[in-house]
Amino acid sequence: MNISYDWLNEYLDLNVPSRELAQYFNQIGLMVESLREIDGDTVYEIETYANRPDTLGHLGVARELAALLGLPLKSPSWPLVELDQSTSDLVDIQVLDSQLCPRYCGLVVKGVQVGPSPDWLKRRIEAVGLRPINNVVDISNYVCFSLGQPLHTFDFCQLKEARIIVRRARKGETLRTLDGQLVELTSDMLVIADEGKPVALAGIIGGEESGINEKTTDVFIESANFDPVSIRLTAKKLGLTTDASYRFERGVDINAAPLGAKMAASLLSQFGGKASRGLLDVYPNPRRTRSVPLRLKRVSELLGIEIPKEFVVRTLTALGLKLNEQKPGVWVTEIPSFRVDLEREADLIEEIARFFGYDRIPTEVTPARSFELPASERQDCLWLLKEILFHYGFDEVINFSFGDREKEKIWQTGLEPIKLQNPISSRASILRTSLLPGLVENTVWNYNREANGVHIFETGKIYFWEEDGKQREEWHLALLTSGQREAKTWNQPARETDYFFLKGAIEDLFSYLGYETPSFEPEDHSFFQTGQAVRISIKKEPVGYLGLLKPEIRLAYGLDKLAYGGELNLEVLFDRQPRAFSFTPVPRFPGVVRDLSFLVDSRINFQDIYSQLKKLNVPYLERFEIYDRFEGDSLSAGQVSYSVRFFFRHESRTLQAEEVDRAMLDIISQLKSGLKIQLR
Amino acid sequence: MSSLQEKIEQYRQLFNDLAAKTKNSRDLEELKQAFLGRKKGYLTLLFDELKQLPPEEKRGAGEALNKFKTEIQQALSEIEERCQRPEVENPLTDLTLPGKKIYWGAPHPLTLFQRKIEKIFVSMGFSVEEGPEIETDYYNFEALNFPPYHPARDSWDTLYINDKLLLRTHTSPVQIRVMEKKKPPIRIIIPGKVYRRETSDPTHLPMFHQVEGLVVDRGITFAHLKGTLDYFIKALFGEKIKIRFRPSFFPFTEPSAEVDIECIACHGQDTQCRVCGGTGWKEILGAGLVDPQVFKNVNIDPEKYSGWAFGLGIDRTAMLAYEIPEMRYFYENDLRFLRQFNRK
Repeated sequence: MNISYDWLNEYLDLNVPSRELAQYFNQIGLMVESLREIDGDTVYEIETYANRPDTLGHLGVARELAALLGLPLKSPSWPLVELDQSTSDLVDIQVLDSQLCPRYCGLVVKGVQVGPSPDWLKRRIEAVGLRPINNVVDISNYVCFSLGQPLHTFDFCQLKEARIIVRRARKGETLRTLDGQLVELTSDMLVIADEGKPVALAGIIGGEESGINEKTTDVFIESANFDPVSIRLTAKKLGLTTDASYRFERGVDINAAPLGAKMAASLLSQFGGKASRGLLDVYPNPRRTRSVPLRLKRVSELLGIEIPKEFVVRTLTALGLKLNEQKPGVWVTEIPSFRVDLEREADLIEEIARFFGYDRIPTEVTPARSFELPASERQDCLWLLKEILFHYGFDEVINFSFGDREKEKIWQTGLEPIKLQNPISSRASILRTSLLPGLVENTVWNYNREANGVHIFETGKIYFWEEDGKQREEWHLALLTSGQREAKTWNQPARETDYFFLKGAIEDLFSYLGYETPSFEPEDHSFFQTGQAVRISIKKEPVGYLGLLKPEIRLAYGLDKLAYGGELNLEVLFDRQPRAFSFTPVPRFPGVVRDLSFLVDSRINFQDIYSQLKKLNVPYLERFEIYDRFEGDSLSAGQVSYSVRFFFRHESRTLQAEEVDRAMLDIISQLKSGLKIQLR
Repeated sequence: MSSLQEKIEQYRQLFNDLAAKTKNSRDLEELKQAFLGRKKGYLTLLFDELKQLPPEEKRGAGEALNKFKTEIQQALSEIEERCQRPEVENPLTDLTLPGKKIYWGAPHPLTLFQRKIEKIFVSMGFSVEEGPEIETDYYNFEALNFPPYHPARDSWDTLYINDKLLLRTHTSPVQIRVMEKKKPPIRIIIPGKVYRRETSDPTHLPMFHQVEGLVVDRGITFAHLKGTLDYFIKALFGEKIKIRFRPSFFPFTEPSAEVDIECIACHGQDTQCRVCGGTGWKEILGAGLVDPQVFKNVNIDPEKYSGWAFGLGIDRTAMLAYEIPEMRYFYENDLRFLRQFNRK
């Protein structure tokens, strides 16, 4: 909202220079966003709020400044040159829907000479950022930006049978509006009609036919009040916002209507206009004044400082409230009709704080009666997980939660995507059902910008419809590794990433986070090349998958290099309790180490060999390590050689060689029956 | 010169050759055995020979032999000392060559900044809560005192999923969810993603991150809100930062405030400043006392309890802190941008 310094001076005698006024605006929350000087006037662009329609006119803003600066508020008089005829003789006003139009005031002004506005009026109109049109239109805008009361002026002669009917539109009715659009009306829209048809869209925009033009001599002034919700719904439906609708949907002072009509008629008299006698004011259900209780004690309880009683009384009175003291420090206040926002005690306390000055309220640390035990395990787990991945050299990315429906199809996530009703673009029409597509896009972006290798991860949510039609959000982790992992240096060749780098990071994630070792079972997946993917599970419960991205997917994104990716459903981890940490005593007696090399059928995968070793039931066996594996060379086809190192220990004495020999025999026999191994 | 003395000379030669090659204690032990071994040591054998020499030769040869023995013993103890010091096998020629590096991944700047914020509040006894990103109109608007069809909703342009569901436009719905579940005292922060149907520009994107704070207890005042935010902002931007509270409007707080910090790019010195537009101030958060209607909506008695809340845009505040001119950098995920943040 643009506010002119000169215009404000119509309502008060400002004793503050125009440049300094900005800080006073700011103090009471009418934030000055910019300030311009035009022809000796200063225009402030101030931020207004949806609950303060009274600040959408200069009078309302002047009232705020008057209260702050302790200045009296002037009320200019608006003398009329009147006709002999009374308004009701000239025009018939019927309000058929007083719900949507609680008040309607009208005046007829005859003999107006339509023409350009005088300079003072042009300056006012330009100050608020409008273009001067003609004196009649400019006057109605001047009233609107003075009082916050939108007016509409009709060419009186165009109103059939001199009749104004405020009613809902009928099905099939249309209206060509002042901006030349043909609007199809529906029965939920309120219109101003004459005897024959709608002539204006109530509170939003007038009709072209009944508009003011150079030939107009007689003007009908409408100064009315309309239901905010109805105006908003109609304006939204038509995608039309006007200065009038903007004010009406926020709530215009119900008592401004008569003054608005009179002010316009008075100004029109400067152009030969004579006003009909007696304002027609259709106001069937006058609104009662709202009263709100206020306790001085509550003011200091909420603000944290004692506010002097005189300050409270002075400020609220200056803002137009009437205070009736019930007992010391307890009032019932009467709220003026222009303050639609003041409904509860808290609203009055805000007024007091605003004028007292937020900067004068002390700063104190918030006391606490008790602290809660930190319960945000999820957050801790997420951060720890990230730290592990940083250690592995993965950079963290954050992508938008949106997805491209067409592009995501190639991934075949098997999840029903959630579509947006009003997406910003088709490229962001759904919510993502996987994090990996985002990582592939990031990879391509970076390969196109000097990267030799990309190793990234993201934690975030995926979204989908569950089978029962409920929406579901799941925390996921996705990782991608591609290209060079270590650059060539003077003492080391460059190293490319590989599948086992990614798998190692994932294995370590589980172990450092305190979860049991997951199993990795070869299983095809729509993201990965056939035979190049594994499913990750904990105790048979699937957690995610990992593998070499499918060429079709890489092609679709223009990714030339190989990329390994993985995605984990973190909800599975969050739902499980990591094992609690407890320390194991450091061994006091030496351990014994024995190596075993054996051949095994190459169709048995490592996962199976590992689980067999895990299952070994042998005394003193502390742990084992697989330290070598090879096939080919001297081995016959279909055979793989493994070398395993076993660590034995007794917790309270030194082991005898014979005990370990027996344990090794035991291991060999168990592996022979479990895996059909052949010793080398 | 007697033949014994010649022999001593030969053995001296041998000893010096072997001593030069002695690099470790095992070699040393061998060398010791070879010369000083009790039965077959060279020196032992030479002394045996000395005994058989005629008396006139004995004297001169004896002196020479004893001298050799002393020499050997001294040399051996020197070698022993040398063997106990570890030795570099291939001494490097240029010790100024670059060392071997291990690359650490970089946290995303928004993660980093969110963590900074969380740490400050956790140190003040706050706990961290989260909530769904897909919300209902009730939690996102109505329970927060946005009447239906009110223009107050215009500042929260919404992405809808259907008539019932939407993407949360702020983290505030989590306030409602927490207050429905928990009795006061409440002392929480809520970080997370939020969504607005906004056209992209340097400071607006359809998705960004917010952190919400909420305190509910008996006797909470506006002064407490000011004090806590004052501490928070100073912890984030340094003790000297200037802070300004000014009145504002949010449906879910009353009184409401917006908090500005002095422009950290120009400190109010540049009327053309790109960061603050020459105003010298930069708005960073909205706050206020919890509106009594919000308390009523979650069955908390506003006469008994009061509280404060604030909401801060993580992206925009991080832009200020790290002097990042455009918000989209956060979501392009260019490694040349991201990797700068493993240093912060």
